[in-house]
Amino acid sequence: MTREEVFEGLKEVLANVNAVNRDALNSATEESDIVVDLGITSSEIVNILAKTEERFDVEFDDDDIDELQNTIGATIDLVIKALE
Amino acid sequence: MDRSVAIVGVGSVTPTCSSTAEFAEKVFSNQSLVREWPEAKRYEKQLRSKVAGYIEPKEIGLERKYSDILEDYVEIYVDKTGRLPEKNLSYADLSSVWAMLATKDAIKQAGWNENEVQSNLTGVIIGSGAGGNEVLRPAWKNFFELGRKSRSLTSHNIDRTMVYRDAANVACFIKNRGIVEGLGSACASGLGNIGYAYRMIKHGYQERCIAGGTEGTSIETFVLFDAMQVLSRKFAPEESSRPFDKSRNGFVCSFGCGVVALESLESAKSRGATILAVIDGYHNNSDGTSDMFAPSYGGQLRLAEGLFNECKQASHHDSNIKPEIVKAHGSSTPVGDIVELMSIIKSFGKDDYHISAPKSQCGHMLGAAGAVELVLSVFMLQNNMVSPCLNSYELSNEIEPFQKSVNWDGLKIPPSEFRHLIPEKAIEKEVNSIVCLNYGFGGTNAAMKLSKYLN
Repeated sequence: MTREEVFEGLKEVLANVNAVNRDALNSATEESDIVVDLGITSSEIVNILAKTEERFDVEFDDDDIDELQNTIGATIDLVIKALE
Repeated sequence: MDRSVAIVGVGSVTPTCSSTAEFAEKVFSNQSLVREWPEAKRYEKQLRSKVAGYIEPKEIGLERKYSDILEDYVEIYVDKTGRLPEKNLSYADLSSVWAMLATKDAIKQAGWNENEVQSNLTGVIIGSGAGGNEVLRPAWKNFFELGRKSRSLTSHNIDRTMVYRDAANVACFIKNRGIVEGLGSACASGLGNIGYAYRMIKHGYQERCIAGGTEGTSIETFVLFDAMQVLSRKFAPEESSRPFDKSRNGFVCSFGCGVVALESLESAKSRGATILAVIDGYHNNSDGTSDMFAPSYGGQLRLAEGLFNECKQASHHDSNIKPEIVKAHGSSTPVGDIVELMSIIKSFGKDDYHISAPKSQCGHMLGAAGAVELVLSVFMLQNNMVSPCLNSYELSNEIEPFQKSVNWDGLKIPPSEFRHLIPEKAIEKEVNSIVCLNYGFGGTNAAMKLSKYLN
């Protein structure tokens, strides 16, 4: 799966998150911060990760989650690592 | 006219301790009460954290008696040493059993006679945080999955699971005729119930109150906090709760119970009671932000200011004297700890007091935390001891990310500058007054000041 495909899949997950800023999501890049730029509260990060695991049928390592930066790019890296 | 309120008795159930005296002894000898929890460990990869502050029923003379007709269902907690009547035990979930045991100890210490206990001027104000308990899951499994009839679930689920079950059970046990209620304010509940009881006496509604918080052992509660990824992990059990430490990564979920016996100071003096402490004041407020979970520096500053204003009315000594101890909420969370440290320093100054962090030893007893920590504060007053902040090995010498934000108008000083306020081991010094702080989800904050009774 390419980074672009993962990005699109992640955008679908983010589009369904409570109180997401949809305009910001539509123009988001890999550098976009999920909390700062997309307006999502930090307590939703766990839910996003759980839904992302479901979306891509993967399981993330707990240690990788603990060290995760809140950017879209970091989350894509996490998915790609889990897919390998 | 507002009245002064005294603490005349205490009781508790705490991780690894068979008595309140043992609890104080362990705290002042710098021991951790946190252990690896077998109940969490059996779920292996499903749970991130495996440590908790817990006490097994058998460690305090209780035994689960399981139902003959419902699998895994605890029909009753048997009291092996006969402290509580069987009738009362039949109504009680674990948290309520603990509340009754702690109440019995507190009343014995208070020295109230039967008339005083059963008076319409004696109240019971006890609450809990999450409300998880071990009877509901097997009950629901039997009804919804196995299709059992409702009567097979027994008639003792409402009494053992309703929101105010702990106050109800204690009231049925001691047979008081005054106010019986429990309030919930998440992790501020323990102090909140005591604060509410204090106000009932202060304003003349009650003469006496049994008050506190209790949080019964519950893997369900643990699981739900683990789901939030807020529990400590990857440290040895005794090093998992590390308030203010640079390496902290979450709190330790714990369970326990704290109860105090409150009485109007006038009544306590007139009958020659031993007065363990006097409550100078209590204040509570809300952060006023839209965030359910994040702490608020401004909210905490207003809390302290409100407490100072309340204490100005204290009549028995100079309430403007700085407390020797600020007993922090200090739950070992990445952001909360240093926000609190900064608000404490802004409110109480940079010197000449110590910060005590009991959660470093007990973990976070949720709805019971504020009450157990108040009981401990009474011991600090009585014994002239400051309980430590265990595991605070390294305080960061850089300011935290939130202190760099444009929205931060608090101190821009790293935590390491305040090492002198945060003792890693218990210390002995004269203690005349203590301020207790507790905060909860939803932005609720509670603060109380205690002083030694000066005759």
